[in-house]
Amino acid sequence: MSEPVLEVQGLSTHFFTRQGEIPAVRDVSFSLQPGEVLGLVGESGSGKSVTGFSLLGLVDAPGRIVAGSVKLDGQELVGLAEPELRALRGRDISMIFQDPIATLNPMLSIGDQMRMALLAHEKRSLQEANKKCVDLLRRVGITEPEAGLRAYPHEYSGGMRQRVAIAIALLHNPSVIIADEPTTALDVSIQAQILNEMRELVRETGTALIWISHDLAVVASLADRIAVMYRGEIIETGPTFDVLRAPKQEYTANLLAALPANTEPGQLLAQGGVVRSVLNVPEMPAPPENDHFLSVSGANRVFFPSISLGEKIAGLMGAGSGRRSTHAVKNVTLRVARGETLGLVGESGSGKSTLGRLMAGILAPTSGQVLLDDAPVMQEGKKATLRIQTIFQDPFASLNPRMKVGRAVSEGALAHNLLSPSEASAYVKSWFEKVGLEPEWAERYPHQFSGGQRQRVAIARALAMQPEVLICDEPVASLDVSIQAQIINLFLELQRSLGLTMVFISHDLSVVRHVSDRVAVMYLGEIVELGPAEEIYKAPKHDYTMRLLNAVPVLDLKVD
Amino acid sequence: MSDRNTPLRVFWAEFRENKMAVFALIVVVVMMFLALFASVVSPHDPYDLASLSLLDSRRPPGFVGTGGYTHILGTDPQGRDLLSAILYGLRISIQIGLAAGFVSLTIGTSLGILAAYVGGRVEALIMRLVDLQLSFPAILLALVIVALLGQGKAQLIGALVAAQYAYFARTAYGAAKAERGKDYIEAAVATPLPTRLVVLRHLLPNCMPPLIVVATVQIANSISLEATLSFLGLGLPVTEPSLGMLISNGFPYMMSGRYWISVYPGIALIILIVSINVVGDQIRDQLNPRLRK
Repeated sequence: MSEPVLEVQGLSTHFFTRQGEIPAVRDVSFSLQPGEVLGLVGESGSGKSVTGFSLLGLVDAPGRIVAGSVKLDGQELVGLAEPELRALRGRDISMIFQDPIATLNPMLSIGDQMRMALLAHEKRSLQEANKKCVDLLRRVGITEPEAGLRAYPHEYSGGMRQRVAIAIALLHNPSVIIADEPTTALDVSIQAQILNEMRELVRETGTALIWISHDLAVVASLADRIAVMYRGEIIETGPTFDVLRAPKQEYTANLLAALPANTEPGQLLAQGGVVRSVLNVPEMPAPPENDHFLSVSGANRVFFPSISLGEKIAGLMGAGSGRRSTHAVKNVTLRVARGETLGLVGESGSGKSTLGRLMAGILAPTSGQVLLDDAPVMQEGKKATLRIQTIFQDPFASLNPRMKVGRAVSEGALAHNLLSPSEASAYVKSWFEKVGLEPEWAERYPHQFSGGQRQRVAIARALAMQPEVLICDEPVASLDVSIQAQIINLFLELQRSLGLTMVFISHDLSVVRHVSDRVAVMYLGEIVELGPAEEIYKAPKHDYTMRLLNAVPVLDLKVD
Repeated sequence: MSDRNTPLRVFWAEFRENKMAVFALIVVVVMMFLALFASVVSPHDPYDLASLSLLDSRRPPGFVGTGGYTHILGTDPQGRDLLSAILYGLRISIQIGLAAGFVSLTIGTSLGILAAYVGGRVEALIMRLVDLQLSFPAILLALVIVALLGQGKAQLIGALVAAQYAYFARTAYGAAKAERGKDYIEAAVATPLPTRLVVLRHLLPNCMPPLIVVATVQIANSISLEATLSFLGLGLPVTEPSLGMLISNGFPYMMSGRYWISVYPGIALIILIVSINVVGDQIRDQLNPRLRK
């Protein structure tokens, strides 16, 4: 075995806050060989990102490295003065961040930013610098790299921007690159491309890579070794295959079992941690009656740009504003039977959320109709039914931060006289119990809850209106896997016990497959494929569905 | 997190860390109390004409008057005890500042939120009007209105409101426009809740933080604007002397060495306005997530 490029011993980083000292990273040790890929996996708050920042000496106050050593090519980094660290950063050790939009300076062209990064550590003529930049852009898969140098970040998509960030990280052939969730913000198909390219680049350059991610499947497809972090500690580490095949720690096993792809569709997911058993789950759902309960016929939705007075005048004088209208939903016809769960998948920008909003009565279709039991869902620009309720993606944004959660749950029912004020408190408590929350939590504010608990509150709020249809717009996308499993289970249980009809919107194919009876695939505003969930996954007919399915990194544990 | 960690408690714990702001808050509270109970705490009643003697006029601090009482801060041209006059003046200034502040808060916020929520032509109309007014100096507008309406408390408050509601409207509009796009508003609309509830229970409470900051600053501004108008003789009638008028009364005697008649009310005014602003700054820092630790 050769000398490790990076050796971390007993690294501990603590945060000194008002609430006291928080040990974000505790006694972390690992080493990295040249050309090796280490996957650092953990849920949010496990300390994986702080570990990455600590290696680079980028931990901001109130955080501080309190113990341990980080040796890069034999040189100690902990305790090194800032100017010396700065000389190393970007040259010997570099970083790729999660958000490619925030990483690049919008005011500078890509060429400017790359040249600045290059010339910070090397003396080169402008021509040589340009040549090197073009070379790297080509290697990370940017077509027409010469034009790319003159382009500004906003001209590039998220995936392209992340490629540029990768090119910048590779400029000096660093011995170590730390990538912090670099593909989390990207669509699956783009993620797949970038993973492929990273594999190539690591092989070509011999750079060691630390890939930080919450997504086990992504890490598994790239890493030689995996380190699992939990509460600031590395609880398990070993070759990727061994960790996935025979996890030694219960937590790792739970993490694996919580992935929907590893469980038969419709079955409750295994979940780590403690969860109250919520409801008596009836054996099987009633077979869906073959009526068209919720129907969308020929619906279109076009978003027109809002044009200011200035632009109108400019337009009259012959200068077009260049803003075009977006046809988000194109001629969609769809029927959802009573008691059925329809999955709606597609990448961002496919129009799936807009379609969900049309069905939820939040947006009116530009043309076409959305009917529930043959009555339009929206009338005169207002939602005309209480029978459809919505669950939103981000439980941090969908609850009013200044309203007690109990009131948020009872408010709608009170406003529509489904409930008298004297019954409100008992009503809220009963719903809290049904979604697995402590009834006395009704007096709390949203900020006192975790993400998973907030999503339960949001579910209670929707169900308190006693709906028949639930539109769920990416309800688990912003949650950790183990929490995601709990919430998906809750949906499955509630649907069975309440006989709900659900439209489940998600970009995550494995989640949709797990909960849905039928799946509709959306692409550029149109439904390109619609059919029973199993059929679509086993035998996709449309090109786009195939591409989508192939792009998903899957943990294949059934190899022998 | 414990149940007792209410947002208000956390806010106060953070506020306490800035000693300067706590001191300023104490000053503001003390001055408000003094003003509120001016008739009890002040040694003389400046409105009681019978107790005034012209022999006592324009006397320096520490002078023992005909009533046998020591005038700690001296007397003004009418022979009134200056300390008492300042306390009564403070009362009028604070009264007007608060009244003008709250009326403009109410009007401005309603207009701003209406514009942001309804949108379209209503939005364009209200906001262009506000823009127009913000491009116009507040003092000039107040002068014109006072000149048109004449003197009196109500007229003065009207003028101050007209000059200041635009700041609240702008702030409320900006905050409401940002909150309007958030999921929790969409969730409320999707329930569907009646518009009245969406606005009052969801939109308004979440627009309050920036408005509270503007309100503290604008109350201080109303007080100084009122003082300016009174100094120019356009504020309140002589029978109700505010701080600005006291300063103005003493102004002719400045050059003859009788500084105290103008200077002490001036100092009281400065302390009040600076204290309100220090408190306002601290609140702003705490409510601004970018400046949070």
